[in-house]
Amino acid sequence: MAMAALRREGRRFAPMISPRPITALRSSPLAPSLEDECPIGVRYISTQVVRNRMKSVKNIQKITKAMKMVAASKLRAIQTKAENSRGLWQPFTALLGDLPSANVKKNVVVTISSDKGLCGGINSTSVKISKGFHKLNSGPEKETKYVILGEKAKAQLVRDSKKDIELIITELQKNPLNYTQVSVLADEILKNVEYDALRIVFNKFHSVVSFVPTVSTVLSPEIVEREAESGGKLGDLDSYEVEGGETKGEILQNLAEFQFSCVMFNAVLENACSEQGARMSAMDSSSRNAGDMLDRLTLTYNRTRQASITTELIEIISGASALEG
Amino acid sequence: MTLNLCVLTPNRIVWDSEVKEIILSTNSGQIGVLPNHASIATAVDIGILRIRLNNQWLTMALMGSFARIGNNEITILVNDAEKGSDIDPQEAQQALEIAEANLRKAEGKRQTIEENLALRRARTRVEAINAIL
Repeated sequence: MAMAALRREGRRFAPMISPRPITALRSSPLAPSLEDECPIGVRYISTQVVRNRMKSVKNIQKITKAMKMVAASKLRAIQTKAENSRGLWQPFTALLGDLPSANVKKNVVVTISSDKGLCGGINSTSVKISKGFHKLNSGPEKETKYVILGEKAKAQLVRDSKKDIELIITELQKNPLNYTQVSVLADEILKNVEYDALRIVFNKFHSVVSFVPTVSTVLSPEIVEREAESGGKLGDLDSYEVEGGETKGEILQNLAEFQFSCVMFNAVLENACSEQGARMSAMDSSSRNAGDMLDRLTLTYNRTRQASITTELIEIISGASALEG
Repeated sequence: MTLNLCVLTPNRIVWDSEVKEIILSTNSGQIGVLPNHASIATAVDIGILRIRLNNQWLTMALMGSFARIGNNEITILVNDAEKGSDIDPQEAQQALEIAEANLRKAEGKRQTIEENLALRRARTRVEAINAIL
């Protein structure tokens, strides 16, 4: 009975066996072609190939899991610092207001991005916003210049806006992120770039899964005076008696510089947090994808293995029956 | 009527509660702030901030920056601040001596200025401890 069944199976398989060149198969993408050919059960794909692929996918999964954990621990460290620095620029906003709509001639866009990749889409969103700003503010009188912090934004902006870039600063993360470092940086920027309004573009860290691109505006003292005269939030500034120096202008200048360095400090920290958070979620999804791929490859492997066993059996049995009969 | 005082540094919030009166040192001298003071935005020098809570004075060493006073709310943003009670007297004294020695050795305008600032900071810290005692 069993022999008859096997013979029937042999007959079913035999006409479908078609010789296929192995090389062509190896060059095409492995997973879809295997799924097409497997039901036929031809022994032209070796289990070795599938096993190699499974090993490499497993390694990738281990690496991405480790990267996710590293990012999580770095995030914990920076998060407390970022939250503490948030309180710093709030008094400035309360006093001077944050006016994204201020109409000024010389805009400088400070784009903050990361140095390393594999962190999701945060750098592209920052660059997109910076470019949008540039387009909005480039007209006959107005001009926009870039100051770039971080390799990733540099790579994207150098391609098409090379002439508008004033200053590029990279490898921020190598120095410890504290206020002194950032104030030195802010000093450099203020010295080399003349501006009416500084727009700092960064990703604000709301939670581990949400990073919102934000623009903070710091106005130069002259513009502050001008806006104060036109009333509104800044109009209250005049009601403050300003002491502690020779002239009011000098104090306002100091205030503007201090405001810039505080806002920069907060922006850099928030961007670092967003980078780690984005990296965590990117690595998490890639580990999950690797897991899925591994499952599919395991199924393919088992099918291939069973197919090869079946064909061996068929050969043996048909050989044996040929000898008998 | 009490004043709400907030002392903030880039790294943390040093003080955030109500006080009766403060004495702040600015570039143009010391000012005392009582409730219902006029609105002022002023630069803060490297010096001591004295806080009075219920007839008890506390000192804090501030390393310069800005203060805003208005509507019984005082916000002081400084580069660095230390409570007088947190400073170790021995260490502050040593820092003062080192700063003085460095000042004598300093050459060139930039170094002199830096050492001057370091000396003032060290002196402020020592004064903050002494003022409590």
